[in-house]
Amino acid sequence: MSQPFPIPIPDRLPIRIAPCPIVEAIFEARFVSPESWATMPGLLFAQIREKYQEQKNLPLALVPEEFRRQDPALQHLPLLQFLSKDFLIQLGPRVVSLVTRPHAYPGWPAIRGELLWVVERVKKAGFIGETERLGVRYVDFFAGDVFPLLRLQLQANERPLLGAPTDVTTVLRHGALAIRMRVSNGAIVATAEGPKSGSVLDVEGSIGPPEVDLFQNGLARFGEAHDTIKGLFFGLIKPELLARLNPVYE
Amino acid sequence: MIGALPPLHPPAYTLTEDLRELSEPASIRRPAPDELAREELLLRKLGPRGWGRVHHFRNYYESGWGEHAGRVLSPMALEAFFRFLASTSFPTGKTAPSVFLTDRGGVELCWENAAGRSVQVEFTREGVEFYDETTGEEGVVGHDASLELSRRLSS
Repeated sequence: MSQPFPIPIPDRLPIRIAPCPIVEAIFEARFVSPESWATMPGLLFAQIREKYQEQKNLPLALVPEEFRRQDPALQHLPLLQFLSKDFLIQLGPRVVSLVTRPHAYPGWPAIRGELLWVVERVKKAGFIGETERLGVRYVDFFAGDVFPLLRLQLQANERPLLGAPTDVTTVLRHGALAIRMRVSNGAIVATAEGPKSGSVLDVEGSIGPPEVDLFQNGLARFGEAHDTIKGLFFGLIKPELLARLNPVYE
Repeated sequence: MIGALPPLHPPAYTLTEDLRELSEPASIRRPAPDELAREELLLRKLGPRGWGRVHHFRNYYESGWGEHAGRVLSPMALEAFFRFLASTSFPTGKTAPSVFLTDRGGVELCWENAAGRSVQVEFTREGVEFYDETTGEEGVVGHDASLELSRRLSS
């Protein structure tokens, strides 16, 4: 029997918070393709070059293909990026993703508009044979130790374990969505002012077959995952942290 | 040699040194957290050999494999295969079912029923094809009927 979702999602959610803790948001489609990897970048670039003119190889592209194929952990990682002013598109042999610029979250309406455009262009590129999985991932950063500010606790001997360097990962189910949530109070992020240490809340919601098809219901699934992750975020943080984020409601 | 490789992907964050992964012994393999139940299912129903074959089909067979330019494993077929496997009982005391990747990117499962007769089920992107030697019955059903099929073919 499935357990009820353990995090209470508030009925009313803010439409804006500041300072925004989001480091980056990733909207990813994993797929299988009848095309070889060698042809995919060209097929995609031909469709997106009007907005994504700059290209960048990622370090994994330097690793020989035979080596990448031997390690399942590398198969769903991107090998190159196409960059625009506000977003990145990442592409690998079995993955394509839209990523926000670091520390420059443009808001859901802007992302939704871009997803609409990108999915249409990927469809025209014609290299996706079948969708394997859709995922939405949000990485948030907080200065200091976030654990006392979350409705989430690690216990030892039935007492809260606070103050120690801690890294917790769990997987929750919310309908068809598998939510992998990681909280760590020992993280380092790069910022414009240099590296900062603190805590991260890293949440990824993903959904696999038979409920997904990037071109049939991809936008709806991305939207559902976004809404769930947003609800989880505001359900997880305590009022003290929410107050620091100066929420604005409709 | 591993240490000489470049970082594989620029991460949004890194963990402080005391929280970084310890190097793991080669005997431990950690599946993705949401894959754990399926890994367990494969081991329980198909044994280590079947687990290894499915792992291979998922990770090492690309489009164009084999003499007949086989297709890559269909995610939809794999999902139907897992759902079927979860609800199917195989006879005890027989060899564990065999599993194959088919040219069209499907997964085929073959086993002997309690009477020692062959049962074959192929999961494809579009549906499920089956053959039961005991009754001579063969046919195709949709993915949504695979649980009912599992009940019929379970011994």
